[in-house]
Amino acid sequence: MSVLKTEALKKYYGKDPNTVKALDGVDLAIQEGEFVAVVGTSGSGKSTLLHMLGGLDTPTSGKVIVGGKDISGMTDEQLTIFRRRNVGFVFQNYNLVPILNVYENIVLSIELDGNAVDKSFVDNIIETLGLSEKKNNLPNNLSGGQQQRVAIARALATKPSILLADEPTGNLDSKTSQDVLGVLKMTSAKFHQTMMMITHNEQIAQLADRVIRIEDGRIFAAEGR
Amino acid sequence: MALAVTIITAIAICFLTVLFSYRYIKKTFDSIDQVLDSVLARNTELAFEVAADNRLSKLTHKAVKIIQMNTMDISQTKQEKEIIQSFISDMSHQMKTPLSGVAMYTNLLLEGRITEAERQEFLSRVKTGTEKLQWMVDSLVKMSRLEVGAIELSPVPTGIKQTISDSISTVYSAAAKKNISIQTAYFEDVSLLHDRKWTGEAITNILENAIKYSSVGGEINISVETLPIYTKISITDYGIGIAPDEWNSIFKRFYRGRNAKGVDGAGLGLYLASQIFQKQGGYILVDSKPGKYTTFSTFLQNCKK
Repeated sequence: MSVLKTEALKKYYGKDPNTVKALDGVDLAIQEGEFVAVVGTSGSGKSTLLHMLGGLDTPTSGKVIVGGKDISGMTDEQLTIFRRRNVGFVFQNYNLVPILNVYENIVLSIELDGNAVDKSFVDNIIETLGLSEKKNNLPNNLSGGQQQRVAIARALATKPSILLADEPTGNLDSKTSQDVLGVLKMTSAKFHQTMMMITHNEQIAQLADRVIRIEDGRIFAAEGR
Repeated sequence: MALAVTIITAIAICFLTVLFSYRYIKKTFDSIDQVLDSVLARNTELAFEVAADNRLSKLTHKAVKIIQMNTMDISQTKQEKEIIQSFISDMSHQMKTPLSGVAMYTNLLLEGRITEAERQEFLSRVKTGTEKLQWMVDSLVKMSRLEVGAIELSPVPTGIKQTISDSISTVYSAAAKKNISIQTAYFEDVSLLHDRKWTGEAITNILENAIKYSSVGGEINISVETLPIYTKISITDYGIGIAPDEWNSIFKRFYRGRNAKGVDGAGLGLYLASQIFQKQGGYILVDSKPGKYTTFSTFLQNCKK
């Protein structure tokens, strides 16, 4: 069963004759538990695709089906709740709240949905990501790699069914990138998450079960391990 | 009079409150019942809104998740079954070629009308065939045990230095035959989460490849570097190399690189190695420039302090 699906997905920006076709008919199906890397040059439409899948932006035409539900017709309010419950995001910029400590940052989005924190689950994540000793630190006392691990922990803590990562190691050096991504792969497998990651780095794309290449708003190749 | 009115009003309010609570509870239970019915019927099209900010919606959302998890488990089991099936068919296909060779040469030898030179030639071909079969059966046994999950790897905190040196000793004579030197850069021993026997096996496979695809008199470098979560063990050779479009394929079962034609092999070594690392929560990456170098970087988890 595919947890994520797009049908003839299109996103055009601007008006004729200056239309930019960011996505030009993308058909994609991602299976439960799969780890997919999307590779493409900048401007190929890969970020737009991720935004559509995560309900951060609405398509010009076509469908985005998440867990059997078409989200392309949802209102902004519905989308907000959809994202909170279904999607975990990891961005290039860690987007941590500077005045909250590591633990508070991680549980923030759980508390936003008015839920009680599953403490043993969160502790398990913190332990797995090697953050136990940093729990009470403020983000600005952490290295880039550590901050990104906090962002990953935050994304996992709400138990989302899908994890979307946009250039998660874009701000990290190559060694730290390999370290952080290994942990991202390990945790997503451990907590049974479906993951889509955007990258332009071929080295890093090797970690995925499947690599999808996108160019000019279209998928032109897919290969897997 | 006023007292009577007050009492009657109070009774009426109580009555209404009880009535409404009763109806509210009934409605709530009915809804929960409906949600559970959908779960039982594995129906993800629930009657209630999944993306609304109320408790029923939250409940519905969780129900949908339970159904999805269930479906996922089922499809995973199915997938595993398919893997095993394709494995069996691949395996029998791969063994056919050397086996029919052995059968053919044995027949020719039995017929007897051959010269001594031919006899020698056929015997040596039978020998090569049986050796290949032997090696394949060994690998296949390991592989099937890993795939079926008959072998549980037990990754425990163990020093990596001994594991690496075990692997180097295993391939030492093969390297010596080609006059290849294996250089390990100095490193402090670290305790990593791994199963020594199987990890040694994986590293041996990578080293065997490095030797196989290096030219005579070449060099192989091993380095170990500890990162915050993982420790990276890199093995570099300066042999034929692997083109980037093959990086993902080389870890597939029975895949042989385009450059590997004419070199003996069955496409199992790297596949096994990557399985072994994955089962221990680690992974392998490859980096290469054809004709220049190939580096396999393997990652194992550090022990938590």
